[in-house]
Amino acid sequence: MMRISSHLLLLLALCSSASSYALDSLKETPSLRALVQSGELPAVAQRVPEDVQVVKLRADQSPGEHGGQLRLLMGKQKDIRQMVIYGYARLIGYTPELDLEPDLLKSIDVVEGRIFTLHLRKGHRWSDGHPFTSEDFRYYWEDIANNPELSKSGPPRALVIDGKLPQVEYPDAYTVRYSWHAPNPYFLTELAGASPLYIYKPAHYLRQFHARYQSAELLEKMVEDEGKRNWMGVHVNRDRPYKATNPELPTLQPWKIVTSPPSQRFVFERNPYYHRVDENGRQLPYIDSVVIGIASSGLVPAKTGAGEADLQARYLRMDNYTFLKSTAKRNNFDVRLWQTAKGAHLALYPDLNANDAVYRKLLRDVRFRRALSLAINRYEINQVVYFRLVQASNNTVLAESPLYKPEYQSDWIEFDLKHANRLLDELGLLERDDRGVRLLPDGRPLEIVVQTAGESTEQTDVLELIHDSWLKAGVKLYSVPSTREVFRNRIFSGDAIMSIWSGLENAIPTAENNPMALAPTSKYQYQWPQWGAWYESGGTSGEEPDLPAARELLALSEQWSHADSHEKRVAIWHRMLEINRDQMFTIGIVNHVPHPVVVNNNLHNVPLTGFYDISPGAYFGIYKPDTFWFDEVRR
Amino acid sequence: MLSYLIRRILTMIPTLLIISVLVFVIIQLPPGDYLESHIAELQSQGEAVDEQKIQFLREQYGLDKPMIEQYWYWLTGMLQGDFGHSFEYDLPVTEVVGDRLFLTIIISIATILFTWMIAFPIGIYSATHQYSWGDYGLSTLGFLGLATPNFLLALVMLYLANVYFGTSIGGLMDAQYIGQPWSMDKLLSILEHLWIPVIVIGTSGTAGMIRRLRANLLDELQKQYVTTGRAKGLPPGKLLRKYPLRIALNFFVADVGNLLPTVISGAEIVAVVMSLPTTGPILLSALQSQDMYLAGSFLMFLAMLTVFGVLVSDIALALLDPRIRLGGTASK
Repeated sequence: MMRISSHLLLLLALCSSASSYALDSLKETPSLRALVQSGELPAVAQRVPEDVQVVKLRADQSPGEHGGQLRLLMGKQKDIRQMVIYGYARLIGYTPELDLEPDLLKSIDVVEGRIFTLHLRKGHRWSDGHPFTSEDFRYYWEDIANNPELSKSGPPRALVIDGKLPQVEYPDAYTVRYSWHAPNPYFLTELAGASPLYIYKPAHYLRQFHARYQSAELLEKMVEDEGKRNWMGVHVNRDRPYKATNPELPTLQPWKIVTSPPSQRFVFERNPYYHRVDENGRQLPYIDSVVIGIASSGLVPAKTGAGEADLQARYLRMDNYTFLKSTAKRNNFDVRLWQTAKGAHLALYPDLNANDAVYRKLLRDVRFRRALSLAINRYEINQVVYFRLVQASNNTVLAESPLYKPEYQSDWIEFDLKHANRLLDELGLLERDDRGVRLLPDGRPLEIVVQTAGESTEQTDVLELIHDSWLKAGVKLYSVPSTREVFRNRIFSGDAIMSIWSGLENAIPTAENNPMALAPTSKYQYQWPQWGAWYESGGTSGEEPDLPAARELLALSEQWSHADSHEKRVAIWHRMLEINRDQMFTIGIVNHVPHPVVVNNNLHNVPLTGFYDISPGAYFGIYKPDTFWFDEVRR
Repeated sequence: MLSYLIRRILTMIPTLLIISVLVFVIIQLPPGDYLESHIAELQSQGEAVDEQKIQFLREQYGLDKPMIEQYWYWLTGMLQGDFGHSFEYDLPVTEVVGDRLFLTIIISIATILFTWMIAFPIGIYSATHQYSWGDYGLSTLGFLGLATPNFLLALVMLYLANVYFGTSIGGLMDAQYIGQPWSMDKLLSILEHLWIPVIVIGTSGTAGMIRRLRANLLDELQKQYVTTGRAKGLPPGKLLRKYPLRIALNFFVADVGNLLPTVISGAEIVAVVMSLPTTGPILLSALQSQDMYLAGSFLMFLAMLTVFGVLVSDIALALLDPRIRLGGTASK
C-alpha cells in the first residue's frame, strides 16, 4: 500500500491495517495455558502489543488452530539460520505480491525519500518479555554501528549516503527517525531483506557484554572463559540474530531457538510475545514448535521421501521430483512445484577482463557474443535436460516483474546457425582447421574453455549440448570443473575466458529494487570481475570500465540511487535492461526452473504455487509460515 | 626393555612435531581460508555478505596473521590442552567433537566385533579346508563384501530397512531421542539403527581379515611341528588352537596400531552417506570449509593415537611372542 502525495514535500506513507482490535476477544494458546495459570507468563492480552497486527489471510487460506510440531530437514548445523528467513518478522516486509508493508513496525512515514519516521507498536515485547522500544535502536546506532571498536569502518553501507551519516532521533519510546541529507533508496529494501539489516538490537540483554556498560573485570573474565581475543569477540558472539545460535538472545521472530549447538536436532519454540494475531483472536504462530533435523544434504531427498519432513524444499532438486511423487501417497505428503526467481538458471559469462588479449578483443565484440547465443539450441536443452519444464530465456527479469518486456527475454536466443556463422564470418574468423574449428587472427584455433564450479552434472550436461551446436558454428568448447574457490580465483585473476553460473539473483524486481546487478558493481559479476572490483574498492583495485555500454550502465546505476521519483526509476531500469538485452553481456540459457516443495497433507495454508527464492521472498517467509497450521491428526 | 620404552617415547616427540607441521601446511595449501569459503557458500545461496563483518571475523580469528604465527598459536595452545576454536561451529574444538566421540566408539567397537565374529571362523575354516567348495564359496562372499561400494550398500540397506522395518533413514537413533538423556528406549532405538552401519562398514573389512588369517594359518599348518603333533595323535581341534592359530595371530596384534585411530575416526564416507552422528563427517566438512583448527586438531589427535597404537602393538608383540627380539635390549 503506497500513498504518494505530490506536494513540495513528497510524502510517502506506508500504513498498516488499522488495528482497532478488542483485546478481550483474544484466545489463550493451549500449550501456554499452564504457564499462564502458574503465573510464569502473563495472559495473552498482556503479551501482545496494544497495536497488535491482525493478519489478513489470503483467499486460499483459512484460519487455523494452535498446536503441532513442524519437522524440517537441513544439511548443516549452520542452516538453522533458515529459521530466521522462514520466520520473516521484519520491521517492514514484502507481501506475496512483493509490496512493502510494515510488520514489526506499526507504520512508517517517509518524507522526500530521505526522512524515515518509524513508529513502533506500543507494548511490543521481545521474546523474554522485555519491552521493544526506541532504546533498542539507539543501542544499535550509538553503541554498535558507531562504536569504533565494534564497527571499524563505521555503519553499514546502506546507512551511508554520499559518505554522510543520517541524523538519528528518538522522540519517544515508540518513535525513531532517520534523516539523511539526500534520498536513501536502499533503506526500506534492506530492512525487508531475507538477511535483513538489523538496525535494532536487544539492548537490555547485550549491554552486559559491552565495554561501555559492563565493568572491565567482568568482561575480562568473560573474554578469558570464552577464549576470545577481546570483549568485541564476546559481544559479537552473543549478538548474531541471523545465525540463531544463541538461545539466550531475545528475538522478535515467531519461533525462538531453545537448543544450544552443537546438536543434530534443533528445537524452536513459539515466541509467546509475538505481535501477530489472526482474525479469530488467536496469537500466531499456530504451530507450537519447529524441529530441525540435521542430515547430510544428500540424504535429505530420501528422508523427505520417507515422510520425515513436513515442509521441505531445501536440498531437493528437480531430479528428485519423480522419486518424491512415487512415495507421496504412502507417506502422506504432496509434492508441489514452485517457481524460482532467478534471471537465468544457467548463464554463460564471457569474461570481458580476460588476460588473453586476442580472446578479450573478441569477447568484447557484441557480434561475437550474439553469435555464441544464436548457436545454442535451447529447445534441445529444455527437452533433454529439463523434461520441457523450463523456458528458454536471456538472463533478464521474469514475466512476473512489472519491468518485463518480451524482447528482453527472447532477443538473440533463437537457434540460428546460419546467422551465427554469418556474424562470425563478419568478424574475420574465416579460416578453419581440419576439424572445422575457426582460427583466431593469431592462428590458434577458436577454443573456448568454460569454467564450472563442478557442483552438479547438470552444468556439464548442458555444456555438452552447447558444445555440439557451437561446433557447427566453428567454435570448440571445453569445460573445466573445479572447486568453487578455485573457480572464482580463476575468474578474478582473468585466467578464465568464460564461465557458467546462475543468472540474476532477483529477477522479479520492481523499480524500487536496486538495479546494481545489471551494472559492473561487484567483482562477483563474472562477466566483468575487474570492473566490479574497481567500483567496489572505489578505484583502488581492479580496472576502470572502458566499454561505453558498461560505463553507461554504471552511470545509470548511480542515477538510480539519486532518482527522486518512481517514473525516473522505471525509466532507468528499462534503459539498463535494454542495454543488457542489446549487448548480451551474459548469455542466458534457461529460466523458470521449477523447484519441488514437499508439504505434509495435514499441514494447511501452504500455497499451491509460489516463488521459492531467497530474494525476494525469503523462501517461505513472505507466505508467512506463522499462519500455517496442522489439523487434529498432528496436533 | 625400559630403556627401549624410553627411547620409543622420546622419538615420538619429533615424529609428532613433524606431523603437526605437515598437517598445518596441508590444510592451508588450498587457496583461500575459512572465511573465503564461507563467503563463497553464502553467495551461492544468494545471501548478502557483510564485508565489514568478514573483516572483523578475520581479525578475531587471527586469519590476518602470518602462517607461522598461526601455527605457533595452535601448537602452544595444544600443549596446554587447548585444541583451538572451530570457526564453523563457533565453539571450542573439544565441545564440537566431544558428544560424537562416544557414539563413534560404539559403532567402531561393534563393527570390529562383527568383523572378527565373521572373519575368524571363516578364516580358520578356509585355511583348514583349503581349496574346498567351502573355502571358495566363503572367500567369494568375502570378496563380494570387499568389492561392493560401501556407499551403495549403505543406500540400499537404508531403503530396505525403511520400507520393511520402518526404520528412519540415516542417523543413529530416532529423532525424538537426539539430545535426550540415556534411557532404555533410546538404547533400543540405537540398536535398531546400529546394525546397518555395522554391516556396511564390516563387510569391507571382513574379506581382508579372512585372507590374512588364512594365509598366516596356512604358513603355519605346513610346518613340521604340526605334522609331528598330528603324527603323535593330538586331536585336530587342540592341535590347531594350541600352536598354529596363536602364532598366526601375530598380524592381528600388529594391527592394533591401525585399529586405534579407526575406532575414533569412524568410516568417514559411510558416515556421511548415512548421516551418522560420528566424528567422520565433522572431519570431512572441516577440511572442506578449511575450518583449520578443528581439522588440524582432529588430525593431530588421530596421529597421536596412531603413534601410540604402534607403540602398544610393538610392546604387546614382544610380550606375546618371545621370538621377537628387541634389538640389543634383550638380556638373558
